[in-house]
Amino acid sequence: MLEVISVKKSFKDSTEHVLKGIDFKVDKGEVVAIIGPSGSGKTTLLRCISFLEKADEGQIRFAGHTYDMKTISKAHIHELRMNMGFVFQNFNLFRNKTALENVMEGLIIPRKMNKDEAKNIALEMLHKVGLGDRADYYPDNLSGGQQQRVAIARALALNPEVILFDEPTSALDPELTVEVLEVMKRLATEGTTMVVVTHEMEFAKEVANRVVFMEGGVIVEDAPAKVFFESPKEARSADFIRKK
Amino acid sequence: MSERLFEILLTSFPQLLEAAVRVTIPVTLGAFLLSVVLGVLLAVVQVADIKVLKQLSQIYIWIFRGTPVIVQLFIIFFGLPYVGIIIDAIPAAIIGFGLNLAAYNAESIRAAILSVPKGQTEAAYLVGLTYPQLMRRIVLPQAIRVAFPSLWNNLISLVKDTSLAASITVAEMFTRAQQVAARTYEPLAMYLEAAFIYLIICTILTWLQHVIEYKMAWEKPDGNRRKNIVC
Repeated sequence: MLEVISVKKSFKDSTEHVLKGIDFKVDKGEVVAIIGPSGSGKTTLLRCISFLEKADEGQIRFAGHTYDMKTISKAHIHELRMNMGFVFQNFNLFRNKTALENVMEGLIIPRKMNKDEAKNIALEMLHKVGLGDRADYYPDNLSGGQQQRVAIARALALNPEVILFDEPTSALDPELTVEVLEVMKRLATEGTTMVVVTHEMEFAKEVANRVVFMEGGVIVEDAPAKVFFESPKEARSADFIRKK
Repeated sequence: MSERLFEILLTSFPQLLEAAVRVTIPVTLGAFLLSVVLGVLLAVVQVADIKVLKQLSQIYIWIFRGTPVIVQLFIIFFGLPYVGIIIDAIPAAIIGFGLNLAAYNAESIRAAILSVPKGQTEAAYLVGLTYPQLMRRIVLPQAIRVAFPSLWNNLISLVKDTSLAASITVAEMFTRAQQVAARTYEPLAMYLEAAFIYLIICTILTWLQHVIEYKMAWEKPDGNRRKNIVC
């Protein structure tokens, strides 16, 4: 359903590639965990898929279309994004909008849904993440875990084909991490297609169907979660799991 | 205080107040409105990095901040008629002060726009907003809140600077005070009275600032968090 082919990316100020030719695929209903040490390019990969960064090379196949990641037009990027959800490490809620308005924004403006309908969907999503009673709160008055759950509701409301999570719990303390992971687990069981960059090994083990282990800008191992954790093929992966 | 002086102050007070209400305040508000609208435009074209417009905006700010407002007023009111553009004194004052202040406001607003975290911009793009929608719905509402105290600062300066409009024949409050002073030979009393009225206006504005800041805050300061930080 979502596939990227030989993605390469380097940043302006260095010649070294952060991504050295990544091939990566997600099927409908799959939960894929991307793990690996810091600086391995996990986040960059996610940001290239959502075009927050422009890849130097590569192709993306999504919802039946194939695009060149370097020469893709703005209109096509917009089209792709309309079917993708993204959850950030730092939540990035709109500070001038309430939880409800944050969730409604993508519905009423880009998707031109009428306000009542959007409000119903938004409330439903907030309930789903356990924040029905916080609809009128501004982000400043919500805890980190609550903000992240609103951010998940914001992504969910748009009914995307896939939701990309960029270290969704890294900015949270352990207690708040749990509440966010609970929500994500529930989404997984409901069949939401998710790609999750994470350092939470337990989550990857328990929830992911597949694990992609990245290091140094390449995919070292890509295997079903069970296989990956019980009998990793690559020595490097085994080493990484042991240390975690 | 002599009875005569008291009499002069008492009869001139409503006259000064009238001039304030009919000229000083409208000129101030008109110019301020113009300066904020233009300031937002000047700031946005810079932040959006729109070719040519960005450079024009920078040149505009360079010129209007780099020359005295009274010279700008003279050019508009006394100079432009020589190229066939005739503007009445009050509109000329509104335009002059507005154009001048816009240059200052543009910089405050630009800084405020840059203070809005970039992550919100990324989030906005990912839910499907376009750049203009992002600016109008997410960035500017937050930026205005950040820029507000310095915009209001400029407004308070402007109230007093409008006295410069006297030099392009605008009969604002200070002109009225000068006239009374000349007629009665009581310059000290009259200018103190004028000063007092400016002070009243600015006091009201200061109070309004607090009211508006409170209204604009989405995080109502129930115990203003900063206050609770122990250092």
